[in-house]
Amino acid sequence: MASEKSKLEVLEEEYRKINKLPRLAKAVENVDKIIELLSAAREQVASDPESHTTITITKLQNPVKTAFEAVNDGLKGAAAAHKKMGKALDKSFPLKPLPTDHDAMADHVSLINRAIAMHLLREGQFSVASTFINEVQVTLKREESADLDEPMDEGDDGDEGMDADEAVSTTSSENYDLSSFHSQELQENFAEMYNILQELKARNLMPAITWARNNSVELEARGSNLEFELSRLQFVWLFKGPSVNGLPDDENNGQRGALQYARSNFTRFQARHLNEINRLACSMAFAPNIAASPYKQIFAIDTAFSDVASSFTREFCSLLGLSAESPLYLAATAGALALPQLMKYTQKTLAKGTEWTTSNEMAFETPLPESMLYHSIFVCPVSKEQTTDANPPMMIPCGHVLAKETLQKLCKGTRFKCPYCPSEGMIKDARQIIL
Amino acid sequence: MADHGASKINHDNHLLLDQPLLRLPHELLRKNIRSAHYHIEWDTNAVKDLLKETATNSINQKASKQDVVNNLDQMLARMRGLKRKLSTYAEEENRLYRQSTARVAHLRELSDVHTVEDVKYEAWSRQRLDRLIVDYMLRHGYNESADALAKERNMLELVDIDTFVAMSKIRQSLENGSVQEALAWCNENKKELRKMQSNLEFMLRCQQYIELNRSSCPKLDAIAHAKKYIIPFSNTYPTEVSHIAGLLAYRSDTPHEPYASLYNSARWKMLADLFTDAHLKLLGLPQFPLLHIALSSGLSALKTPACHSSQQNQSHQGQKSHKSATPGPGQDDEQETRSHGTASLQTSVCPICSTELNALARNVPYAHHSKSHLLEHDLVLLPNGRVYGKAQLDEYADKSRLDEGEVKDLVTGERFREDELKKVFIT
Repeated sequence: MASEKSKLEVLEEEYRKINKLPRLAKAVENVDKIIELLSAAREQVASDPESHTTITITKLQNPVKTAFEAVNDGLKGAAAAHKKMGKALDKSFPLKPLPTDHDAMADHVSLINRAIAMHLLREGQFSVASTFINEVQVTLKREESADLDEPMDEGDDGDEGMDADEAVSTTSSENYDLSSFHSQELQENFAEMYNILQELKARNLMPAITWARNNSVELEARGSNLEFELSRLQFVWLFKGPSVNGLPDDENNGQRGALQYARSNFTRFQARHLNEINRLACSMAFAPNIAASPYKQIFAIDTAFSDVASSFTREFCSLLGLSAESPLYLAATAGALALPQLMKYTQKTLAKGTEWTTSNEMAFETPLPESMLYHSIFVCPVSKEQTTDANPPMMIPCGHVLAKETLQKLCKGTRFKCPYCPSEGMIKDARQIIL
Repeated sequence: MADHGASKINHDNHLLLDQPLLRLPHELLRKNIRSAHYHIEWDTNAVKDLLKETATNSINQKASKQDVVNNLDQMLARMRGLKRKLSTYAEEENRLYRQSTARVAHLRELSDVHTVEDVKYEAWSRQRLDRLIVDYMLRHGYNESADALAKERNMLELVDIDTFVAMSKIRQSLENGSVQEALAWCNENKKELRKMQSNLEFMLRCQQYIELNRSSCPKLDAIAHAKKYIIPFSNTYPTEVSHIAGLLAYRSDTPHEPYASLYNSARWKMLADLFTDAHLKLLGLPQFPLLHIALSSGLSALKTPACHSSQQNQSHQGQKSHKSATPGPGQDDEQETRSHGTASLQTSVCPICSTELNALARNVPYAHHSKSHLLEHDLVLLPNGRVYGKAQLDEYADKSRLDEGEVKDLVTGERFREDELKKVFIT
């Protein structure tokens, strides 16, 4: 694997070679030469007596001609380099036409704009986000006023009329979202999240702890231990003392500070996390040599800050009903991963003239890595169809699960036999389940 | 195996969205060399001819010394002009090579990454998204945003701001009712447009003619214009040309078709779109934003029937009230929990269920799966019809400090006795 060069490595090497080839600059040099020749000749003609003019000008012919050829050669060189680049591209990065005959997203500009704005906010790009939102608003206003100016035309360019019509209907129904978005609390929420994450990066846990405490009821309902995890890390962090945490060396830092922190903060966790608290307390006894103690794991905090940062992000977003990772990032990444399948499919169906977005379900599999699966998928083992709201999974008395439609087909009268085990059942005993 | 294979990066096919990244500078280089060629040819021939003529005249004693000096001055002026122009092209060439090199290096980075799980992949893919967003912004004319994002992310070499800004300037001039800029562009790219069989120039000429009809009363200018620019097209576009000819008889407030729509100012928008199409096609760029392609493929791949199901996702409307509502104990508490709508505990919300993309994904099909894929193992059924992994229920019971032998629904918060659970077998 390692010895074999990837196509792009080959391409990079080719580009490196092409970069050394002569370019237009060569032609410019020779133009300079011509200018020199001409101005020298001009000076000579101007200063010499009239009788020399013809000789000078005749003598000029050949060198100028040569120089012009050199200019042309420079141009040819540049063209050759360009051609080489094209060849290298075709060889190592062959063009595969993208599926562009149908744009399923064209009618949803406002929704995409919103997704982008939210993505930018998530990433902490607040100024870019606000520039973007402004530009979108300005464009919208301009388009709206243009739309008001003229009634829809009907005529030979009927297609255009249709497009514009759709645009109007989508803008009027969707643009509300984005204009209200400007003032929405979402922006503040993301700003808060971003600030807390910045503080976490700077090893300051306090803002995160405050947030977790303010939202402790919701977090607990989600079964999240975030508040405790943060507080425990704060304990360890203080315990490590000023040499590690760089905080002022006073009674609020070091082992004394940690103990004090534990006393004033850990009581609220006692019911749920008594064991862990006891362990923390016991670890104090090993203070001089934690690394060799049974508690060393608690104090190994190399990844602790990035770990709490990601659980914080997850919880923060979940409480807002949002995905922890930027959905736009996930969708674009999944899109790149699934695109080869889509292209293979579109190439094959192009002849039939069917669009792949017209049916409910894709006609081909687009495998994604496990980390990109968020819901359990149930495919009926008999019909091989995915279950949906209309065709939900049903559990029969023996515990096996089938799609509802399968079950209806299996039924003879009111009874059926399980396709997977010897037991029989009544249709009324099958029950719909939510996976 | 399938899952394992899915996280592996297929290097031959992973850079489909990134093709324009290298193709565009290559295309622009071609254009650049061609323009350079044009100017070299033009000026060289002129200078060569003049030089020859001067020599001949000088030999034949038809030219005085002063004539020769004058001619030489003329040649010098031409060559200096050529040098100035060529230098700009050489600079542009250098810029494009620099850009290409940076882009190949950026794409090459992926060669070292073999699975999606690699941290390096995430960084790379994030940058790709940034590129796609900039491309999207530029195509919608959100140029300032594009510039700001590209600068913020330090990736000016990886995006084509100049190309698109130039394009959007011409586009804007069309939207503002001026054809000059677009015609100039047509002139620059005459050959290619003819090869593409683009009707852009014809349409622009027609618009000029329509405007002449609109403004001038004795329509002599319009007739002259038509003779010069429109009649030559009468074989290619016979219907349009005959409509155009008929326009002379109608005033701009006519209710009669097709003349009323010819006078309609909505044509400017149509011309702007026509120009954009031709421009993108000429440069070999996709007709719509790359982000659209990524999204329509990605949304489908991620979408499951559950994402817009009425059972799992009544959650999003509940979101807004969530912050302000003070969750109390008991019933309220459980209501709150329900509104978070995550099927499983401690997992994050699915990107398609998330506010950002939910509405957008509504119209795309869901992914095809030929095998069941369960996030949890050892499934049990609660009396309310919901299925969870046993381990998941135990963990939640533990965290919720339930009594021994009790479990709690992760979504609805209902409590049940453990002996009410039934085992579920998924085959």
